[in-house]
Amino acid sequence: MFIGLSELGQAYLSVLNPLSLAYGLGGALCGILVGCLPGLSATLCIALLTTLTVKLDANHAVLILVCSYVGTLYGGSRSAILLNIPGTAANAASCADGHALAQRGEAGRAIGIATSGAFTGVLCGVICLAAFTPLLARVALSFGSYEFFWLALFGVTISGRIVGNDPVRGWLMGLLGLFVAQIGQDGLYAHDRFTFGFDEMSGGIALIPALVGAFGFSEILTTLTTPTTTVVNLQDSVRPRFREVFQYWQTALRSGAIGVLTGLLPGIGEDAGAWMSYGAARIFSKEKDQFGKGSIDGLMAAETGDMSSIPGHIIPCLALGVPGSAPSAVLMAAMIIHGVQPGPMLMIEHPQFIFDVVAFTTLAMFTILVFGLFLVRPLLYVLRVPRPILMPIIFLLCNIGAFATASRLFDIYAMVAVGLGAFFLRRRGYAMAPFVLGLVLGPLLDKSLRRGLVLSGGSLEPFFTRPISILLFSVIALTVLLQIPALQGLVARLMPWKREAAAN
Amino acid sequence: MTAGGSAAGKGGPPAGAPSGAARADLGEGLGWAGLGLAILVLSLSMDRLAEQGVEPYAVPGLLPGLLGIGMMLFGGLLVWRGRGMVRLAAGGARTKQKSDLRAGRLLVVLALCLTYSVALVGHGIPFWLASWVFVSASILVLQHGAHQEAGRAPNWTREIALATFIGLCAGVFFTVLFQYFFLVHLP
Repeated sequence: MFIGLSELGQAYLSVLNPLSLAYGLGGALCGILVGCLPGLSATLCIALLTTLTVKLDANHAVLILVCSYVGTLYGGSRSAILLNIPGTAANAASCADGHALAQRGEAGRAIGIATSGAFTGVLCGVICLAAFTPLLARVALSFGSYEFFWLALFGVTISGRIVGNDPVRGWLMGLLGLFVAQIGQDGLYAHDRFTFGFDEMSGGIALIPALVGAFGFSEILTTLTTPTTTVVNLQDSVRPRFREVFQYWQTALRSGAIGVLTGLLPGIGEDAGAWMSYGAARIFSKEKDQFGKGSIDGLMAAETGDMSSIPGHIIPCLALGVPGSAPSAVLMAAMIIHGVQPGPMLMIEHPQFIFDVVAFTTLAMFTILVFGLFLVRPLLYVLRVPRPILMPIIFLLCNIGAFATASRLFDIYAMVAVGLGAFFLRRRGYAMAPFVLGLVLGPLLDKSLRRGLVLSGGSLEPFFTRPISILLFSVIALTVLLQIPALQGLVARLMPWKREAAAN
Repeated sequence: MTAGGSAAGKGGPPAGAPSGAARADLGEGLGWAGLGLAILVLSLSMDRLAEQGVEPYAVPGLLPGLLGIGMMLFGGLLVWRGRGMVRLAAGGARTKQKSDLRAGRLLVVLALCLTYSVALVGHGIPFWLASWVFVSASILVLQHGAHQEAGRAPNWTREIALATFIGLCAGVFFTVLFQYFFLVHLP
């Protein structure tokens, strides 16, 4: 424990220099600017910044990316409050109460509450990140190919089940992501799969171009076909409201815990943390009738919940190598580009790195406080930039972002193809998070399955007899089987309260 | 985030759901099942590397084949959900797009983006020039659409000058930034 504290202390000292502070502030500022523009997501911001930071050393690059991650989600609350359009999906829960407050002339107060809620949320998450990541990484050291196979499948299954409206569509997207990850040379024998004789496809569909396409190009197309709305003016003070955090301390603590817990589940996304915190706050609130009409409790819960899920998503990403959300998937890809392989071996190969990430997240937490105080009014000008001017420039950046990591023209074509596919699939109600998770976990699933089978001499027994494997398999099987109508009927008969809830 | 599963769980289209959703299930389910079948066939026909001594349970096509089967199963589930809607699909009148203007704008945006990424970038034209042309043309076309939608009469001299200026600045700025500061050799 004391060794951990000493490493944490060293990590904090290492970020307290002008260069790291400047990088942190710059990353957070980029994130806030991207976040406050509806249609541009945290995933896109981190993917583009990954290409910008590819020449930096690993620590500075990850510092910028973590700060931009936190900044994007924080910036997203601006447009949720002032435009009633969430800057990122995670800020959707803040729209109702935030915009209602803004329409009553209390936009500054709403932004102040969002800032203090975000700060509190990240603080809760940072504490859990520091406490639980090393523990989880130590547990994960006992994982073998069998456990990793089920863990990868667990991530895609849970993500497909919870994200979006339809689990079947979610799982299909997860399968599509897993399949796309199989294109190119396989990880065991370097055999070309689904390349159809094109040499360029041997390298596979790289993660960064695919994510830039799925979250950048498709968002550009979506944004340009959606009508614009007017910005509410700020009339009151925007200073953070920590008095209200103390007043609603139970909401802040509860939402912080819910955000971290939802963050631990693979591929769920920050919006789940926000909505679950919002729902819980509504149940326990004394002012239930105010929800949706400008409730401080509601806004605080939504902002604390989504922001605390960021460190929550980073925990499984670092400890297991399984990202908690699409932005953390890009963050993980960036770490790999910089020579840091997240997963159980991280505690052995780079033990200091986990504590460095804790320090980066803490710095990100303070940067949003700085920008929450000083950058609110200038951001209004960014919100007013017409989309027809902004979007072509973003697309230009998407092209550079797709090209820069490997200098392959093929990556630009892959970005365009994935973006087009994502745009049309999203219009038909398919969620992108399971696809992204499939794309990230595809190689792990393939290697774990075949390595496991080689180790067991072709026997499937170890996949179903080891304790963690049984647990993960049971959850996956139950999640899928509960989509069968006959089983749903059985569950409803066994649990009458669920039937009543459904009837209501 | 909403609780999923309502649509999938009732063995048919959910109560009160529009028939269009079921029709979409049917068509999309067939598409997914077809894709799954194609992946399965390609996986089965993939080299099993027997000459390298690779065991049958470690062949490169193992996981893709299983994924193909998964797609067929879930695609089949979508088809099953949308069953009985074939006649509706055949007889139902297609609703007209609410906004032809936006659909037109989507096509224009697509054409501009594809021209830039596929035809302009990496085909001998300097990156800054290709970007200048793309950004300026896109701003002009999209602003024109926005003005049309709002029913405004724009000042074209000003619009062209502004689009050209922004396009030039963006093209030069990002080329210099990436090429000389981040040492990325742009196409």
